[in-house]
Amino acid sequence: MPVLRKRLSEFLFPAETDNWLAALRLGLGLQITLYSLSLRNDWNYLLSGTNNGLINRNLAEALLSVESHLVPRLGWLAAFGAHADLNEKTVLSAAWICLLAAGCGLLVGLACRVSAVLAWFLHLCAAKSGGFVSYGVDNFMTIGLFYLMLSPLPDRYSLDWRLRKSRPKHSQLLGFWRRVLQLHLCLIYFFSGLTKCLGSGWWDGSNMWRSLIRPPFNVVDPEILIRWKYLFPAAGVFICFLEIGYPFFIWNSKIRKIWLICICAVHAGIGLTMGMYLFALIMIVLNVAAFGPGVIRAERERISLRPQEVVS
Amino acid sequence: MRQKYVCAAWFGLHFLLIISFSCRETLGLIARGLTIFPSSFKSFAQKAETVADAVLGQHLAASNAVRQALATYLHIAGIETGYSYFAPNVPGSYKLVFELHYPDGRVEYELPSVSSAAAGLRIAGLLDQIARTRYDTLRQHLVKMMTQPIWRQHPEVKMIRAVFGSINLPSINEFEHGKRESYDFLYSYDFSLREAPPEPEPR
Repeated sequence: MPVLRKRLSEFLFPAETDNWLAALRLGLGLQITLYSLSLRNDWNYLLSGTNNGLINRNLAEALLSVESHLVPRLGWLAAFGAHADLNEKTVLSAAWICLLAAGCGLLVGLACRVSAVLAWFLHLCAAKSGGFVSYGVDNFMTIGLFYLMLSPLPDRYSLDWRLRKSRPKHSQLLGFWRRVLQLHLCLIYFFSGLTKCLGSGWWDGSNMWRSLIRPPFNVVDPEILIRWKYLFPAAGVFICFLEIGYPFFIWNSKIRKIWLICICAVHAGIGLTMGMYLFALIMIVLNVAAFGPGVIRAERERISLRPQEVVS
Repeated sequence: MRQKYVCAAWFGLHFLLIISFSCRETLGLIARGLTIFPSSFKSFAQKAETVADAVLGQHLAASNAVRQALATYLHIAGIETGYSYFAPNVPGSYKLVFELHYPDGRVEYELPSVSSAAAGLRIAGLLDQIARTRYDTLRQHLVKMMTQPIWRQHPEVKMIRAVFGSINLPSINEFEHGKRESYDFLYSYDFSLREAPPEPEPR
């Protein structure tokens, strides 16, 4: 039993540098910035609580309240703003500006913790209040931001570290939070691969074809796609194998690099051929942060440093 | 040392929830007969899904504090859904077309519009949700809300008919034989500023 406990402890709390955290911070900073900019013209329209928007936000918030009253939402901010005589449009615009600022803050590493918490909170508010217009990318952004704000920030590449000389309080937990992210990704890919394997369309390539011609993901002309039809069955099986094999092969130091490149290439391909750029970016960011540091040999040597040495 | 125990306990609970949710979603797909599993697996999957439901507090009353706390945590951690994207099979997509009827008898057509491609993906997700909803009242309400921006852009319009349909995608073989995507009518709703509740036309 003590041996098992020791092994578990070593697995959950390995000595770790903050390279992965820097990758996660930078990646999520870029993601939040691009997310905000991509919605700059539609932000108020998608998230309005009045009849001026596409879907009244209050409906999504009412449905959310059936599950829980404590999940953050834009209605809270609007109500708070109303106390200060701010109309809803101003509050929504302020929320957008703050989210963009938080993204930029994360990107350069300024006020890392505050930026991470603010980005998580405001993005969560937008994702939940805009529940009818949310999709997978919002889920993965919430996951990434949730882990980022709980991790021992700042990392050594941030402006906080370099200019303000601030240091993380619990740097011994760097390995723990990386492990959490790694295991979560393993579960994501395993279940994603498993459910794909249960559908006949992923074995004969028809799901590859359907996903590429399905509006609004039909970026590539079907006349071009049809020339590659013989590749679809192999590509479908390859994706299933890549996803379901992820939790088994990504831990092997010899195969990790290939697996990571393949999975990132698949996400980049999805982004380019289906127009899901933000979805592709968040998945690449999470993968690179979780399993990227250590793949390159030079990184591998640095990873053997004890956390105390890194922090001092 | 105490910090490690707290972290390990949180880790156990966090991943129990993720696994439960993912298992529940996978079992739900099997239970609904959407997978390649034979139908004899359905009853087993339904029973197993009930166990996963219990772990996630779904058997508790909606007002129960534990269920509410659990739901809050699932949402704030982003683990309230499973990961079966485009699985087990790629679903069809949907289209909403607004027919604008002018007082002079003219008819124009409009689609829901946004400024960017990123927001366009969200509209597509919204249409999927409208199609998936089991409550006609909710569906009608959502379509009605989507009609309002069209009213504002065209205040002179007498009546707007919102036609909701599914897009049939051709298979590779069908595409090679010249078949292209087609539309199936699902629902239509007529909205006018004078008439209060719109009447849905049956499918």
